Amino acid sequence: MVPATIIRLLQLATVLAGLAAWELAARSAWVDPLFIPAPSAVARALAAISGPALAGLADTLAKTAAAYVLSVVLGVSAGVAVGSVRLLRDVLSPYVIALYGMPKILVLPWIVLLLGYGTAPAVFYGTLHGLFPILVLVTGAVRDVDRTLVTVARSLGATPWQLYWKVLLPAIVPSVLAGMRLGIVFCLLGVLVVEMFAGVRGMGYVMGSLANGFQAPELFAATALVSATSIAIVLGLDQLNERLSRWRG
Amino acid sequence: MKVTVLRLALLAALLAAWELAGRAANPLLAVPPSAVVPALRDLLLLRSYPRLPASLWLTVREIGVAYALAVAAGLGCGFALGMNRLLGRAWGPMIAALYAVPAVVWYPSLMLFFGLDAASKIAFGFLLGFFPITLAVLAGVRQVNPQLVLVARAYGAGVVTVFFRVMLPSMLFTLVGGLRTGLALSVIGVVVGEILGAKDGMGALINHAYGLLRTGDYVALVLVTLAIVVGSDVLASLLERRARRWSE
Repeated sequence: MVPATIIRLLQLATVLAGLAAWELAARSAWVDPLFIPAPSAVARALAAISGPALAGLADTLAKTAAAYVLSVVLGVSAGVAVGSVRLLRDVLSPYVIALYGMPKILVLPWIVLLLGYGTAPAVFYGTLHGLFPILVLVTGAVRDVDRTLVTVARSLGATPWQLYWKVLLPAIVPSVLAGMRLGIVFCLLGVLVVEMFAGVRGMGYVMGSLANGFQAPELFAATALVSATSIAIVLGLDQLNERLSRWRG
Repeated sequence: MKVTVLRLALLAALLAAWELAGRAANPLLAVPPSAVVPALRDLLLLRSYPRLPASLWLTVREIGVAYALAVAAGLGCGFALGMNRLLGRAWGPMIAALYAVPAVVWYPSLMLFFGLDAASKIAFGFLLGFFPITLAVLAGVRQVNPQLVLVARAYGAGVVTVFFRVMLPSMLFTLVGGLRTGLALSVIGVVVGEILGAKDGMGALINHAYGLLRTGDYVALVLVTLAIVVGSDVLASLLERRARRWSE
């Protein structure tokens, strides 16, 4: 087994080699810097656009947070309801699967027609994206809760409230966390798509206008900023997840 | 039986509620089903959009090319990373980390680079399909029991035989699942790309109808596009079943 340090070094070397090759290719004009600017130009552009980009990012993240809270609350509560009532689950599951898999962008023009431009369609569409993965995971987890646990708790005289709170909820925590990890990326995706399609503010709008203005270095800088933010959020959630599972034992 | 009836009843109730609410509110914006049916008829008879067959064909072609590229590159990268332990351990997590980025952030760059024509949609569909296929191959290669490979080699099986007789059957489930997810995502990538800006294809027609507030036509076009999505998924599930039967 190769030690982890070597792996880390190899990863670092890969990134550096990639950046160096890219810089070289752009400097020696193997690629058109109009379309693929050198990393150094991107870094300069990042400094130049940091003001509006950070404002846009803050706007996007605020909408994402709203959509995320809605997705988690609706997804978990609907998941518990659908998962624990057999009839509901049988009737609704094909619809849920279909809605989960369908390209939601097809209804985006309609959402924009109904909700207008700005925050409301972004939050709605972000929720639409984040809700279904959480709903599907939680429904499955509730369905698969160990029947024996439920029977034992019932026969020991647990009230329905206690049954949900003490048996069901602890059992589905891992799935809720997995759903929350998936959901955040989906929410951010949804918000960015709306901003690109019909935005007036936010990072998606900024990126869309940079692309239309052929400002490649600035666009690459904005893309890197959003990607890094997203990776940081997901890694943060992973960390939190790990802490929680250690705490749960 | 009862469940099926309830499912259909729910669908009917939703459609009825939509019809009533749509008529009461604003039929132009709410597009009740009764407005969609004539629009769909006009669309399919090529009255409202005579370009429909050409646009549909373009979208299907974009999906096909994007998916073919994603499968080729995904299988190549996946096997390369899977066979080489060191590279796999170093680059696998990096690919997985990129998967944590909402893919649409790449689209403006692709649009800038490839323009508004089919190429940018193909590139985006490729990008979306590539990741799940690569990761599925990586996971699949790891599922193969190395002792089986060793034993097969010891009995004199060649590399090709080992691949088809030992590795492929034991990783087939994961691999086929990844290929199916890849197709679904390639389809979504092409559709998203077209709606975010295209000169032709179903997305361009949808944007045209939406821009002119021809909402009935818009919903009809969405339904036709959904037919591509559902069709591709049905095709994929048939192929998946076939592959599973072969492996058993």
